[in-house]
Amino acid sequence: MRVRLNNITKRFGDVVAVNQLSLESHQGELLVLLGPSGCGKTTALRLIAGLETVDEGDIYIGKRRVNEVLPKYRDVAMVFQSYALYPHMTVAQNIGYPLKLRGVRDEERQGAILKTARQVRLEGLLDRYPKQLSGGQQQRVALARAIVRRPQVFLMDEPLSNLDAKLRGQMRAELKHLQQELGVTTIYVTHDQIEAMTLASRVAIMNQGVLQQVDTPKNIYNNPTNLFVAGFIGSPTMNLLHGELGDGDFVMKGCRIEKVGDGSRKDVILGVRPEDMKIVSAGTSHIEAILYSVELTGDQTIVTAKLGDDNVTVREDKEYDGTIDQPVKIRVDESKVFLFDASTGNRIRFAHNPE
Amino acid sequence: MSERKSLYQILFEPKTIDAVAPGSKVVSYLILGLWTFICLFPLYWLAVTSLKLPIHVADGPNYLPGIDFKPSLHAWKYIFVDLGNDTLRPYLNTVLVSLASSVIAVLVGSMGGYALSRISYSPKLGSVLLFILIMILMIVMIVRFGVPWQLAIASGLALFLVLVSTVGRRFRRALHNNDIAFFMISQRILPPVAVVIPIYVLFQNFGLLDTHGALVITYVAVNLPIVVWLMRDFFDTIPVDLEESAALDGASRYRIFFTIVLPLSKPGLAATFLLVLILSWNEYLLALFLSTADAQTLPLLIAAQNATRGPQWWYMSVLIIIMIAPVIAIALVLQRFITRGLLIGAVKG
Repeated sequence: MRVRLNNITKRFGDVVAVNQLSLESHQGELLVLLGPSGCGKTTALRLIAGLETVDEGDIYIGKRRVNEVLPKYRDVAMVFQSYALYPHMTVAQNIGYPLKLRGVRDEERQGAILKTARQVRLEGLLDRYPKQLSGGQQQRVALARAIVRRPQVFLMDEPLSNLDAKLRGQMRAELKHLQQELGVTTIYVTHDQIEAMTLASRVAIMNQGVLQQVDTPKNIYNNPTNLFVAGFIGSPTMNLLHGELGDGDFVMKGCRIEKVGDGSRKDVILGVRPEDMKIVSAGTSHIEAILYSVELTGDQTIVTAKLGDDNVTVREDKEYDGTIDQPVKIRVDESKVFLFDASTGNRIRFAHNPE
Repeated sequence: MSERKSLYQILFEPKTIDAVAPGSKVVSYLILGLWTFICLFPLYWLAVTSLKLPIHVADGPNYLPGIDFKPSLHAWKYIFVDLGNDTLRPYLNTVLVSLASSVIAVLVGSMGGYALSRISYSPKLGSVLLFILIMILMIVMIVRFGVPWQLAIASGLALFLVLVSTVGRRFRRALHNNDIAFFMISQRILPPVAVVIPIYVLFQNFGLLDTHGALVITYVAVNLPIVVWLMRDFFDTIPVDLEESAALDGASRYRIFFTIVLPLSKPGLAATFLLVLILSWNEYLLALFLSTADAQTLPLLIAAQNATRGPQWWYMSVLIIIMIAPVIAIALVLQRFITRGLLIGAVKG
């Protein structure tokens, strides 16, 4: 079932939480809403669930407009960040609760509970209470309760953020597998870009209530539409250098990159990812900076250099070695740079820009 | 190395009994024992007095049955055999009236508390004042000018609706949940004695004096603000996520209230129930006005033992013992529910 948001706006007092959001999910895809905290992604999810009502615009689930439809009639299931398990019910009762409310008969319900519990590997824990479970198990109960009744749409509000890092990775894989197995359209909210990139069919990036870009994870990374998306996605973050464009060349103090665009304009920002740069000892280089720090993370080395007041981050392999406070030369892969308008933040596109 | 502790921690932080030095252990137990004695002694005195003959009561303070005086069951016999039905009836009245009023008050009051905790209300101040004004107008019309009450209520209501939908649009100042809650608890600030005469007249006009109904209605009204106030506070501690989750799972508001919220509120419900039960169980003043014979409650019967023949301590002692026994029993049963930690495992983070 598809979910379509048509210019929806939600205000809390003077704060515009969601601003003119238009978004459509494809059948069976996992659409991730990604953004920093307070960007309106959770509000958007709650609007779809019906826990909040929209001020403007329309929400469609399938062909049905659901603006005034109560949550219970929208046929969506939600996994909360806090799991929201009913503490006075056993695992089996928790999972069976949505079915019980729908008047599913006892035997049928037991069968469904058992089948769902097996899908999320909880079959041995059905008689326990939530407080007797570990974080990961509680998370699975919340998941099972959502999938047991086969809703039209799954809504997930940062379901993994309360797990420790190792478990999170494991649950992420399980979640992705389960979603593909069930083939139910899923809208997933997170502030964690790794989660978004790994899980999503498509990612929708939001900032301050406004949708910035919707695309596949690959395109989001390789072809950001504006400064916010470019800076938000990627770790270490993209280098953003403030300079100007002179006859197609990007120029700033200590940095000159030829033929990155056309024409001349002031106040542009050049973006280049740390992995698209290399520290060189000889040959052509574009940036001359002072080495500031060298951090070995295991499989790679993150090198930071000072260019005036700006930091430039370069991703080098694990063998890199350098002396701090020494000048270094950096070569930039010209085919992989992005130019942004410094005042609007929008991408400046040129004929030969990377796709 | 252990951290330095503040004086407060040294004095009041709970320790296990093993961690206490033997010397201070003895002192602790002595103090606790003394306090227990102070608390329980009046109860013991009651029990002893109930076994005394009037002459022994007059003898002054002696407390050891069989040594200081010869125990006798005469008071017990008088209360249970001689008085018989005159003891039993007030007893049953008390049980019936306090249980019924407490159950109703807790049920209705917790619904009110829930609404105040979860739904945000904002009646316009102007509308509320307008309503009160029209009410006064209606009463004046009925009482002073003899307008039939049906006509007065109908026209008053119509006037109110018309005014609210026209002039009412311009009202700005609104009341909020806290104002409503304060209004409710303010009904309790006024002592009941201040309104006992209007209440008496009211029930007299309804012909309900000396009935269980009058007492139940009054006790519910008197106890409701307490229940609303306490339960609202309790409901505020239940995570909203649980209810939203239930709403998405397909539960209606009433279903959520009865299958999710109330089961999780057992500690609050038990404590509140106990409180209002004791309040109505011991209530004297309103019962004095509203009941004379048929609906008389135990506190009145006890007070009656201090009537024509002076205070008859021996009878009073028996009555007080049988009066407090069930309350203690109920408290012990309910104590099981008044525990912490019911919400563990509900939400994470």
